[in-house]
Amino acid sequence: MASFQAVKKSINLAPTVRTLPSGIPCAPRLNLSARAPAEGHDHGHSATGPRSDKPSRFTGTTRNSSLGLVSKTFVAPLPTTHFQPRLLHTSAVVKDTPEVPDFSPYRAQSDSTNRALSYVMIGSMGVLSASVAKSAITGFLESMAASADVLALAKTEVELANIPEGKNVIIKWRGKPVFIRHRTADEVAEARSVNWKKLRDPQSDEDRTKRPEWMIMLGVCTHLGCVPIGESGDFGGWFCPCHGSHYDISGRTRKGPAPLNLEIPPYDFNDAEGKLIVG
Amino acid sequence: MLGNTFYNSIVKRNSVYVSTIFLGAFTFGVGFDVAVSSFWDRWNQGKQWKDIRDKYVQDADS
Repeated sequence: MASFQAVKKSINLAPTVRTLPSGIPCAPRLNLSARAPAEGHDHGHSATGPRSDKPSRFTGTTRNSSLGLVSKTFVAPLPTTHFQPRLLHTSAVVKDTPEVPDFSPYRAQSDSTNRALSYVMIGSMGVLSASVAKSAITGFLESMAASADVLALAKTEVELANIPEGKNVIIKWRGKPVFIRHRTADEVAEARSVNWKKLRDPQSDEDRTKRPEWMIMLGVCTHLGCVPIGESGDFGGWFCPCHGSHYDISGRTRKGPAPLNLEIPPYDFNDAEGKLIVG
Repeated sequence: MLGNTFYNSIVKRNSVYVSTIFLGAFTFGVGFDVAVSSFWDRWNQGKQWKDIRDKYVQDADS
């Protein structure tokens, strides 16, 4: 059987019909629309008349030559269909499904690696954007912070040895007066003997001083911001001339319109150099 | 496998993932600052005050 197939293939005939490059079909020695010789015969028309489907003369001619019947066509007929199956051909077989390229080199090798890589990329993006956001916020905050020249003025130093006992000193700190009083032992005892729980702004003298002999407070009246006068008033402390507020020797309000005690600034003692540092 | 270990230990819980990202941002910022500072110092070697201070200041309390 196989040998018969081989034999059958080996005697495959060359095609008898072809198409010229101009698109005109070429069938040498064969034309089904050839003019018939004008002979009387019987297939559907009168005995002497031409065939009804005979094409016009300008489309082609037919003649009998020594090679046989030769037909020439001058006009290409319009195509009647778009699909022209070539049932007899020697070209390559057309596959019924389109060929898909091989994408395997581009595919991910494994799903888990692919997933991990995606999350690594997302995380790196997050790390970068978080860093950018952090540095942006830090830049804003640094621009709002106090500059070095302001910070240099924020502290004031006072030589404590220059202040004799029982004397007041007024210094300027951040644009405001600060009272420093070197209190005597009698004044300390007086300040501590007061029943402070009954006062308008109850505060003990121990809370208001770090060392009993040094009374440091802001010299701004808590009523409307005047500067009180030292060593005056009904309680031997400070007296505000504006509206008559009286403060005792611990700076606590005792009489008049002031609602609060005189404010205590942050301060520290530097024993090595005998200095007081306000701020 | 590395990918699965990474996914299961860090990514699976979003809280861990976000914390890792913030921690990474912190360490990245510190490392970036150190790297840029060292590069700057190397690039400007001999031009900065800390490099030439010895030529001008000889006091004891430096």
